[in-house]
Order: sequence, then structure tokens, then C-alpha cells
Amino acid sequence: MKFNTYEFMVAYRFLVNGRSQTALIILGIAVGVAVQVFLISLMDGLQRNLIQRTIGSSPHITIAPPLSSPQPLGIGGDAIDDYPKPLKTEESEILSWQRYGDYLDGIKEITVAAPMVNGNCYIEKGRSSFPVIVKGITLPEADVIYKFKKNIINGDLRSGGNNVLIGVASSEKSGLQVGDTFYLRNQKGTGDYFFIQGIFDLGSSAANNMVVMSLDRARTFLDITGISAIEIQVHDVFAADGLAKELRGSFSQVKVESWQERNKELLSGLRAQDTSSFMIQFFVLLSITLGIASVLAIIAIQKSRQLGILKAMGTNDKSAARIFIIQGFSMGFAGALVGILLGLGMTELFMFGTKSSGGPTYELKITLTNILLPAVLAAASASVAALVPARRAAGLNPMEVIRNG
Amino acid sequence: MDDIIVLDKINKSYGDEVVVQVLFDIDLSIKSGQFTAFIGPSGSGKSTLLNIIGLLEAPTSGNVIMEGQDISGLDKNELASYRNEKIGFIFQFHYLLPEFTALENILIPYWIGKGKPPKEVVGRAMYLMERIGIEQSGGKYPNQLSGGQQQRVAIARSLINRPKIIFADEPTGNLDSKTSDIVMELLKEIVREDKTNLVMVTHDRDIAAGADRVIEIVDGRINCDFTVDRMGREEVRRELEHLACTFSGAAGES
Repeated sequence: MKFNTYEFMVAYRFLVNGRSQTALIILGIAVGVAVQVFLISLMDGLQRNLIQRTIGSSPHITIAPPLSSPQPLGIGGDAIDDYPKPLKTEESEILSWQRYGDYLDGIKEITVAAPMVNGNCYIEKGRSSFPVIVKGITLPEADVIYKFKKNIINGDLRSGGNNVLIGVASSEKSGLQVGDTFYLRNQKGTGDYFFIQGIFDLGSSAANNMVVMSLDRARTFLDITGISAIEIQVHDVFAADGLAKELRGSFSQVKVESWQERNKELLSGLRAQDTSSFMIQFFVLLSITLGIASVLAIIAIQKSRQLGILKAMGTNDKSAARIFIIQGFSMGFAGALVGILLGLGMTELFMFGTKSSGGPTYELKITLTNILLPAVLAAASASVAALVPARRAAGLNPMEVIRNG
Repeated sequence: MDDIIVLDKINKSYGDEVVVQVLFDIDLSIKSGQFTAFIGPSGSGKSTLLNIIGLLEAPTSGNVIMEGQDISGLDKNELASYRNEKIGFIFQFHYLLPEFTALENILIPYWIGKGKPPKEVVGRAMYLMERIGIEQSGGKYPNQLSGGQQQRVAIARSLINRPKIIFADEPTGNLDSKTSDIVMELLKEIVREDKTNLVMVTHDRDIAAGADRVIEIVDGRINCDFTVDRMGREEVRRELEHLACTFSGAAGES
């Protein structure tokens, strides 16, 4: 399509001449775009927040032995100590975990791969006992996943030997505080005294019911030769699923599970949200398109005299049509620009409002895509809307104007 | 002198169900360098004939030949660019674009055909404005101009592309007689200066009397055809005196 400069000039003059009409339609587009920018940012922020809450302080991918189901309680005790211990196999523990670790360290997408052991134990206090999960970790790696350092609310991180960290939930249940020493009993009935170095709050009740110690101490305490699992954090949380599939191909003897597989319900909820926000966007766009189409149709009728004159003087049909396409696109473009500013303003205002009212603060995610997508769509739909009057302009016979004065 | 326009058996009808024929087998050739006036009572078909000559309307049958080229075969868009290059339009109403200044209006036909006007073309527009006495009004919008000034702008606009034919449909029909005289004089002068051809529909006997050739259309047919060359101006004027019905009443449309 070859544009002639006078088409731009005529389009521009038509728009400037119908100032209030033009302003109204630009405002209409702007409001539509603003709502979309805001809505998308809100939804996006909400989803990221939700995902962050769900998986932020938990591994994205877990590699566990195939029989990693919790072992039944109460089979311990002295009675069976006389029997030969069942042979440890890769079925219930990962024995050759160093090998896995080396392999995983070579994968770029992985931020950290942390070995971990865990088991069910009891805090004994006087006559009562409180079930907890004992977790053995290597600190620098596990801290990337669980962010103990950030979430310690009392005491500090120095674990090692019999120094442990306990979750805020187990602390509250048992009344234990930083500096206390307590007796921890494992499933076999044996136990030891541990010293509370710090208390953490990871935000979820399961995580807050943990007693965390060093990997090696936990292995001896829980009598585990290998490890219970390797926990992996990746750069792009949404790539976890794919990576898990890859790992499954490489490691046939272990169970590889991504966070997506563990949180199917959350994901389907998010997907439903996506669908509904898509619907809203679609209808906002539709109403923008219809609005522009109707205003441009009116302009085309108002300007049919001018169009007739232009056509008498040699404007061809395509050129007449282009004058309206240009008008539609210009209004769409201007509306999109104003809409982006409005939308960003609304987003900022929302964040300011929730922050100052002390409500749940989470970052609305303003990304280039979130801004550009609705803007480009609005400009495009404005151009499409202009096709209606453009067709009219193309079909206008100059004689209709000349003959009727 | 060559024929600039040749009409060959032109018929024109309107309507699909009720067909009304307005022009019947018009054969006509117009020589180059002449001022031709079409006269006739309202509804005679003279404006339709002019619109066909101006390539604004296609005949139902027959051929229009311009400068030896048969125009009948051209499609709508080819016709549009042909009009843009070869024909300058002046209508009864000025038909200026209200969104553009006088100078811009004058430049629009150039702009449509060839894009942004270069300095020489703007210079020509300025010259034309000066020539017809509206050099002060270039920056004004049509609604800020008087009727006479508007029509002068329309004249300048019709000339900007140096067309072969100036097509004028009662160009003074909307002006008072004094302004009308001035505008007509200017038009004739500038047409002579530009060596172009003026084809005009008019209801004004005096204007018709000033033409090189007067063709009267009645009921879609050529009724009379007076040529100054052949008959002398006085004889033409006398003949026109007899065609009282043609000039009775105010300017109307046919």
C-alpha cells in the first residue's frame, strides 16, 4: 500500500476539525487500554505472588528414591535391634547422591541442587511429645531454597553439631525458645539432646514444623546412609516441568517431581484466571473496536462532501479509504499512548493505596509485554474498525455530492 | 486547431426500474483553445453532459475521446488520475475543503496527483492568487472568505495542475452580478493566459454571449449550436436574445 502525504494531511485535518469527537474516542480507547494494562499487571502480580508463596520457599524439583513414602512409626525400639538390618537399597534412599549432585551442577538452568535427609521425630518435653519433621541440610545450598537467613525471627543460623533451628510452629507448640535444650526422639526410639540456635518462620505450617540440623548430624540421627532427596531450585520456575521431564529421562532409578505436578490445583486455578482475564480483555477490545467504528462511520458521513470534492479532483477509491484507515490508526495509537500512561498511573496508585492502607502488599508486575500488548491490540483494532468507514469512503461517488450541492 | 474533446453518440439514462433517458445520441466535437458555453432550460441534461465531459460520470453508451484518446475504457481509478491531471473543476458552489486554508485548497489537486508540492508549485499558487486578487487571503479558511473570494480560490485551484480543460458548472451562479462580472473576466483572462479550454454551463445570457461557442441543449438533444467564428459575435448575441426560455428564472440545476 503506497501512502500519499496528502492522505495524512487530510486525515489529520479531519481529526483536528472534529476535535471533541476525536478527543472522546481517544479517551475511550485510553480508558480501555488503561483498564487492560492495570488488569494484566494485577493478574500477573497476583499470580507471581501466589506462585512465589507456594514455591518460593520450597524446591522446584525434587529427586527422591522411588519408595520415599514415610516410614511407619513405632517399628523401632530395642526389640528388633537384634535382627539384621534390612539392606539399604536405592529403593528407599539415594545412596550415590554425590554422583547426581555432580551431574546436576552441570545443568545451566539449575540454581542450586541441595541434598537433604528427613524423617519424623518427636520433641519430648516432660510427659508430652510433639511430632516434628527433622530435616538435615547443607546450609549454603538449602538457604537458596528455604531462605533461612532471611526468615530467622530469633537467634541465628549457626547450626552444626547438636545446634539446630526450629520452626516457629514447633516452637509455639512446645514452648521452646532460643537457647533451650530439648530431647528429640527418632522413630527407632533412641534420641539425643539438641540446642536451639534459632527460630525461623517460612510462612507455611508444614515448613514451620521442622527441626533443621546439618546434613551429617541428621544422617546419623535418623540412621540414613544415603540421603532422602535432592531438592532443586531453577532460574525460571515455569521451566521446572520441562526440566523434570528431562531429568526423568536421565535418571531412571529415582522419582523426579516438579512443583507443577505437586500443585495441579493451583495451576488449574491460575489457568482459569488467565481465561477470565483473556475474556475481559477480548470484550474491552471489542467495545473499543465498535466505538471507533461507529464514530468513524459518522465522520465518514460528515465528511462525504469533502470526500466527494477530493474524488472529483482525482482522489482514487483506495486513497479515500486510506484517509480513514489513517484516522483510525492515529486515534488508536494516541489512545493507546494515553491509555498506557493512565494504566501505569492506576497501577502505581493501587500499589500506593494497598501499601498505605496496610493491606497485603505485593508488587504489581509492570512488564513491557503487559503494556505493549494491549496498546498494540488497541491500535490494531482501531485500524480494523476504520475499515467500515473506509469502505464507505471508497464507494462514494463524487457525483452524489456534486449533484446534491 | 485539433479537437480536444469528441463525443460520439452519447446516451445517458438513470434508474433501474423506471429508466429516464436524459441524453440522446449526442455527437459533438470541441476545438482546442475555445470557450464553450452550454445553455439550456433546467432539466435539459446540460449539466449531465458537462459531467460526462468532465469524466465525473460515465455515459450509458457512446464514447468520450479526449486528445485523441478514448476514455471509455478507463476504470474508476484511471479516470480519477486522468481528471486530476487534465481537468480543472469549478462548481456553482465553491466546494473548498473547510479544513484547509485557501492556499492549501489551491494546492490540493497537485498534492493528490504528485505528492507534497515543491517550491515552484507553491510559487505558482501564489502567482495565481495574486493574479486573481486574493493574495491577502492565502492563510484564511474558506468560511473566513466572501463568496467572490471563495470562487476565486476555486478558480486558482482549478488551474494549479495546468489542466487541458477547465470544467465550470455555473461558476458564478451563486454570486451577485457585480462580483459575477469580475470573476468571469478573471476566469476568461487567465484561461487565455494559460492557453487552456473553458467548458461551462451557465444560465447567464451575458456570460454565454462572451463565449466562442454556445450550445443549447433541450430535452437531451443539441438544439442550437452558435459559433462566433462562423456567425460573428453580434449575430450570436441576437440569437441568444430569442432563446428567452433558456435564461428565464434563476440559476437552477438540470
